[in-house]
Amino acid sequence: MIVAGGYTGKILRVNLTDEKFKIEPLPKEWIKPYIGGDGFGAKLLFEELSAGIDPLGEQNKLIIGTGPITGTMWPMSGRTVLISKAPLTGIWGESHVGGFLGAELKFAGYDMLVVEGKSEKPVYIDIHDSDFHLQDAKEKWGMSTDTVTTAIKKDKHDPDVQVAAIGPAGENQVRYASVMFNHARAAGRTGMGAVLGSKNVKAVAVRGHGAVEVHDLDGFMEFAKAAHMRVRTNPIAKGMSKVGTWGLVAVKQEIGEFPTFNHQTGVFEGWEKLSADHIRPKYTIGDRACFGCSLGCKKVNYIKEGPHAGTLEEGPEYEGLMAFGSLIGIDDFATTLKGNQICNRYGMDIISAGSTIAFAIEAFVKGVITEEDTGGLKLEWGNREIVIKLLEMIGKREGFGDVLAEGSKRAAEKLGRGTEKFAIHVKGMEVSGQDGRTHRSIALGHATSARGADHLRSLVVVDQLGYEDVAIKRWGKDKLPEIIDPYTEKYKANAVFESENAYCIRDTLIVCWYTVSWPPIFWMEDFAKILPLATGENHFSKVENLVEIAERQVTLKRLFNAREGITKKDDTLPDRFLKDPMPDGPGKGQVVDLEPMLRDYYTLRGWDLETGLPTEKTLKRLSLEWTKSHS
Amino acid sequence: MSDIVSHEVVYLPSQLIVDFNKCTGCRICELACSAKHEGKFQPSLARLKIVRYDDIGLDIPNVCGPCETAPCVDICPVFAMRRDPISKMTYLDEDKCILCKSCVGACVNGVILLDTERMKIIKCNHCDGNPECAKVCPTGAITYGPDSSSATVDRHGKIVSYLKEIERTDKVHGTGAE
Repeated sequence: MIVAGGYTGKILRVNLTDEKFKIEPLPKEWIKPYIGGDGFGAKLLFEELSAGIDPLGEQNKLIIGTGPITGTMWPMSGRTVLISKAPLTGIWGESHVGGFLGAELKFAGYDMLVVEGKSEKPVYIDIHDSDFHLQDAKEKWGMSTDTVTTAIKKDKHDPDVQVAAIGPAGENQVRYASVMFNHARAAGRTGMGAVLGSKNVKAVAVRGHGAVEVHDLDGFMEFAKAAHMRVRTNPIAKGMSKVGTWGLVAVKQEIGEFPTFNHQTGVFEGWEKLSADHIRPKYTIGDRACFGCSLGCKKVNYIKEGPHAGTLEEGPEYEGLMAFGSLIGIDDFATTLKGNQICNRYGMDIISAGSTIAFAIEAFVKGVITEEDTGGLKLEWGNREIVIKLLEMIGKREGFGDVLAEGSKRAAEKLGRGTEKFAIHVKGMEVSGQDGRTHRSIALGHATSARGADHLRSLVVVDQLGYEDVAIKRWGKDKLPEIIDPYTEKYKANAVFESENAYCIRDTLIVCWYTVSWPPIFWMEDFAKILPLATGENHFSKVENLVEIAERQVTLKRLFNAREGITKKDDTLPDRFLKDPMPDGPGKGQVVDLEPMLRDYYTLRGWDLETGLPTEKTLKRLSLEWTKSHS
Repeated sequence: MSDIVSHEVVYLPSQLIVDFNKCTGCRICELACSAKHEGKFQPSLARLKIVRYDDIGLDIPNVCGPCETAPCVDICPVFAMRRDPISKMTYLDEDKCILCKSCVGACVNGVILLDTERMKIIKCNHCDGNPECAKVCPTGAITYGPDSSSATVDRHGKIVSYLKEIERTDKVHGTGAE
């Protein structure tokens, strides 16, 4: 069944309604235009979902995808992607996650798992090589993600079973429920956990004993080993293996892009208590890595004293320090770790949870909502107890938590009274830990990304952190200094366009954000070398071919969203970034002028300047005319 | 009386040394091992194994040796498992093996396997003195060289201090685990 090197050549489908599994061959004709991962997912979801279906209904499907590199020696190749129509936004939904399940799925013999229909009773999907079952999960319903993961390993008498699980938040269909892997690796964004919850699927357990075989093993190993050495000797990567993404806190504070008090400002007085220099010596007791990763950014932390003493958890990332720290005015690492643990156990997205809480606090502090809305809770900035309490209420959908479980956009619609202006989201997804006012390219990225305010699909790091040498190499000297000036709109579309293309290929392989997006180690030319070695497909050896594949993927996701009614009017930002000048810090006075960047971006993408939709010419150029027959 | 011979104690000139404190659980060693010996990426056939305990955040590498007394050699009924006279490394003489799997059960590190597809015993040979796993390990958790047995306690320090600390706070606060 081998269609090309790196692939297993099989798609496993499970229909929960009929309780049937089916193995299908991986269509060989998908490989050249889509590579794998996100590409396959976009193709399958576009073809098989009708427009307008309920993301939490029986008709929605959830894909667990891998790429041709998954499960190999190439650095950070154990990742997987969950793709579905998103409950949080009602548009394209995807969430990439580290851990080990992606590789395990390949070892079990499948490039992709497609979950369809809806089970009558709680089940978990149990895949053991070519043996698969729907196991009863009645006893497991209600368990936290870590408990159910341990329980499944115990059931199977095997510590090597890889489990993707939802917690109470997923069961309660919290709109931003996550799917958790290895206790602390989250497919966090867009609400993939709610999709599984709506289908009565508590977990997916995978164990595989098979192999991933590449086209040219010797060539592949030589290049992969050299790639590992590039990671191991990169100074930023070395720093990351000590402090993960925490190092960003000091940097973001310095450049005035550390979102504080619900994105009102970009500098936070208490930042030092959230900085790497403070956390690592005091709390960190272990360094861990995902599959095939020589960087190892995951930190095990332990709290010895205080109200959260005894808390043992991996994380949080920079985004967690932001979401439960600066964003709600808390200068205490222990609280962010506890908040992180609650999110991991209940299975909720940290960014959306923190941002929705920040939304509620701001609305309360400004007197727009009152204790009548919150059920007697007094919300305020910097209150450590209240954030922990609210998180638990959201996970259980209890009282005011039920309102916040809908995400900031829906919560604002429900609360009314002009609370919309405190809901910092794009297309329904809460804005991550960046600020377009002091980093113009992310303004465009947040506004145009397929899944909403997204920092993972096109975040340009080169301008933000001033890698001049990398910028010259990628975009040419003529675009400097503007392209790396964070306060100007000029050339930002070029930077976003090219970064998004490279990240698209990253997400088809599938490899990690780190070492591709930041620190900038691998780029298109590396993908153009490793892909032919892995697959034997020479089409992938030319960067321009990879660019075309990436463009096809971005436009296909755009078409998916267009089918759900997304147009140029939705490619916007909250007024906070467009109208309120940055109040403090080095970027004081800055606002985003989105329109010129949007026009440049649409031009590069071949989308109509007025509607933001792909033109006929673009559909033809990218061989996407087939989309017209699927409505 | 003197007929009863105690287990032979052998000191390996070089061995795989594992530092629990440094292992991140990335399993690159398993990938490189299977690529070298099987020509494909298949951790289930790797000659070493990383066991990950996500609940307590620990990763334990299990490798072949160091075995001053080798249960796999002692238990082999047909003397197919022997020690190399020079390197002192245990090795399997495959054409003598009767696939009784005694060594699989006897191995204290759990790294001798039966490949059920090709029906043969899989056993680490330290890559004939140049082990791939040590070469690819990004953190130095697996190294190859003469043993420095005094440091063994240090290398296991993470687990020991870790469990002690958990016990201490567990008594006072509970670990937060259900």
